[in-house]
Amino acid sequence: MDNMIEQLSIGSVSLVTLATAALLLIVLVFVTYGIYFERKVIGWIQLRQGPNRTGPFGLLQTVADVFKLLIKEDTIPNNADKTVFKLGPIISFIPAFVVLAVIPYTENLYFANLNVGLLYYVALSGISTIGILMGGWASNNKYALLGGMRSVAQMISYEIPLVISMVGVILMTGSLNMIQIVEGQAGGFWSWNIFPQIVAFGIFIIAAVAELNRTPFDLPEAESELIAGYHVEYSGFRFAFYMLSEYVYIYAIAGLTTVLFLGGWHAPFAFLSFIPGLIWFIIKFCSIVFFLFWIRATMPRLRVDHLMGLGWKVLLPLSLVNIFVTAIVLELLK
Amino acid sequence: MSIRTEELLVNVGPQHPSTHGVFRLVVKLDGEVITEATPVIGYLHRGTEKLAENLSYTQIIPYTDRMDYLSAMTNNYVLCHAVETLMKLEIPEKAEYLRVIVMELNRVASHLVWWGTYLLDIGAMSPFLYAFRDREKIVELFNELCGARLTYFYMRVGGVKWDAPPGWIDKVKEFIPYMRKQIEEYEKLVTGNEIFLSRVKDIGKYDSQTAINYGLSGVNLRSTGIDWDLRKQEPYSLYEQFDFDVPTSTDGDCFARYRLRIEEMKQSLSIVEQAVAQFPEEGKIMAKVPRVIRPPAGEVYSRIESPRGEIGCHIVSKGKAEPYRLKFRRPSFVNLQILPELLIGETMTNLVTIFGGIDIVLGEVDC
Amino acid sequence: MKGIVKGLGVTFKNITKKKVTYAYPDVPMNMPDRFRGVQHFEPDKCIVCNQCARVCPTDCITLVGKQDPNSEKKVKIIDTYDINFEICILCDLCTEVCPTEAIVMTNNFELATYSRDDLFKDLHWLENNNTLVRSENSTNLQPKAKPKPKPKATKEEGVK
Repeated sequence: MDNMIEQLSIGSVSLVTLATAALLLIVLVFVTYGIYFERKVIGWIQLRQGPNRTGPFGLLQTVADVFKLLIKEDTIPNNADKTVFKLGPIISFIPAFVVLAVIPYTENLYFANLNVGLLYYVALSGISTIGILMGGWASNNKYALLGGMRSVAQMISYEIPLVISMVGVILMTGSLNMIQIVEGQAGGFWSWNIFPQIVAFGIFIIAAVAELNRTPFDLPEAESELIAGYHVEYSGFRFAFYMLSEYVYIYAIAGLTTVLFLGGWHAPFAFLSFIPGLIWFIIKFCSIVFFLFWIRATMPRLRVDHLMGLGWKVLLPLSLVNIFVTAIVLELLK
Repeated sequence: MSIRTEELLVNVGPQHPSTHGVFRLVVKLDGEVITEATPVIGYLHRGTEKLAENLSYTQIIPYTDRMDYLSAMTNNYVLCHAVETLMKLEIPEKAEYLRVIVMELNRVASHLVWWGTYLLDIGAMSPFLYAFRDREKIVELFNELCGARLTYFYMRVGGVKWDAPPGWIDKVKEFIPYMRKQIEEYEKLVTGNEIFLSRVKDIGKYDSQTAINYGLSGVNLRSTGIDWDLRKQEPYSLYEQFDFDVPTSTDGDCFARYRLRIEEMKQSLSIVEQAVAQFPEEGKIMAKVPRVIRPPAGEVYSRIESPRGEIGCHIVSKGKAEPYRLKFRRPSFVNLQILPELLIGETMTNLVTIFGGIDIVLGEVDC
Repeated sequence: MKGIVKGLGVTFKNITKKKVTYAYPDVPMNMPDRFRGVQHFEPDKCIVCNQCARVCPTDCITLVGKQDPNSEKKVKIIDTYDINFEICILCDLCTEVCPTEAIVMTNNFELATYSRDDLFKDLHWLENNNTLVRSENSTNLQPKAKPKPKPKATKEEGVK
């Protein structure tokens, strides 16, 4: 905590505000082009062109989409619980943005150097679920309700293996501070956490995809069953907020995976370290984002009961075993 | 204090992404478990059978295109076949070959649409696009042959409207190995996928007795182990000449139906392959038919194997140019009857899987 | 897991494959010659025999003939000829029965409009729709030498 207070006292308030605005801008640009990239990649996989009508190469497609959402009429269903209905997207979005603060991009470029960074991330990202449940409940729509319920069940079930799989990494580093976790992975790709913690990595990726509500775990919004799930009644900028929080979480999860398992800004080989750390970070980050899109274009959707079974019966015990094995091995190597 | 619970009444359709048209299903949900399901049909009803009573036989054929719009060729055939049986017409060999080729290609196209949309229901996007890419090739072939992409109106009483254009048979010949390769890729992409298997295995199970009681036909019947394919049991057209298998399975679940449809595509391709190999270059494509078709008074029921099952056409003729009564036995309509029973005790997710597995076309259900 | 990995391989391979989409509104679609598009009508050829109106399964053709002013004999020429494309199913039967190929198919298929009224196409529109005319049409062609107009052509239109 000392670190943070120190930082606050050094940097003026205006600088912090400026930095936050810059981050928001970066995130928005990421979301805009993340969606564009997703549609392009899935288009290519499906032998289509993807968006190519708005702007050169369709680069302005998402901008146009968002603009359309913003100027749309703001509709609230008659029987909806209006306060909760309005709060839902906000509660869903704020944590998604706030968690980005702890992700370090290079050893110097970060927003908050918390020594409980990981805990902060986990604690805040859990709040988003409430926003989704609120949206599903307040819409007063049966499909939305089913979607909201599924979403809560799913996110709670997968939050646990997600966190427990991180414990292995924490044990290896002995710190909850993200920068120290990355520093612990310095020196070539063999010292990245992905190799000693391969089980944890697998669990983490599966649980993260489930947390993101993306295919094959997109049951809350399963369009072929529940039409759109919890946001079926939302339109306009409220809907945009739900979408935004979904894509900001992709950003967060991709960043977190890079930091925890792929060595953050470190180059895979020592002779490649002339390339700046930020570039390495972006490369790793993008390949994870691509992986998420690639999976989406390939997989069918899981069934609710299988999803729960996988979470509680496979991933949770596996991640617990992983902790014990890690602890024992670390103890033996000491 | 006990918590008050109530059943949720959910309207699935008529506008719902996985009802494949305008089908409505009123389901009662206890949590996510279905306790009651009532199908509501008729949104696409056009009264084809009644309209047919005021139309000449040739004029009815384009209406059959619009029943099962995914396999218009088999629908064309069943009506023509019924009239031809009534009139005891001898069909030229070349016309029969053309009919078999287009019917089997149409079967492949129909199963491709089913395959793509079924995977879309289950949540995978890409198979849909892959299936439509390959269906497009068949559709293009049909477009070249008869000038339409969906409502072919290719067959006439006594033969077919068009001869194969130059080079068309060669294009079909090229298409067969291409399609075989694609089916292999489909299987690689989907059939082995563990998530897919967990979604379809042991879902929507019924035994052969239930299937017979409900009058199911086609793949829905064969998936329970009953070897009933009208192309084998009551060979019509030239099917006796061709060597093909009728795949069956005894599992009776959605996966069995999936496997059988994939197998049927392969078998259809092998029929097309044999047919184009034996295709006579010379010959007439129309039998000698009077300008106005007036079948003798009498009744006839002809049935053939459409991609969805037994499609039948019952004609009562009074010797006039219009039928006195025309009745289509539509496989989708009959197969749909088992749905409410299958759905009880299943979840919303399985609703989509089971409903998709039956493979209905709403144009045919409502007719 | 093996199946999933295989599936991932298939989708990855497809990224670089050739795209199969059409650039349709930018590049016009060329339909094969036999394509059944919107009809083209040539009033000069029409002998007002009413066969097309009678054979139409949806009764979408309405036509009226009149006495040919240049002829002393009882010869009919076409006065109005309308096709209602709200209900026309482009089934090809009218072109099939036409004894003089007065009505033929074209490969044009773009009929979309903002108003249903625009779908009611009259003689002039159909006459001007003269591009991409299909080469094979009628199977009912009369010998060119003597077109014989049928006297019963005056029967009210639209009756089978």
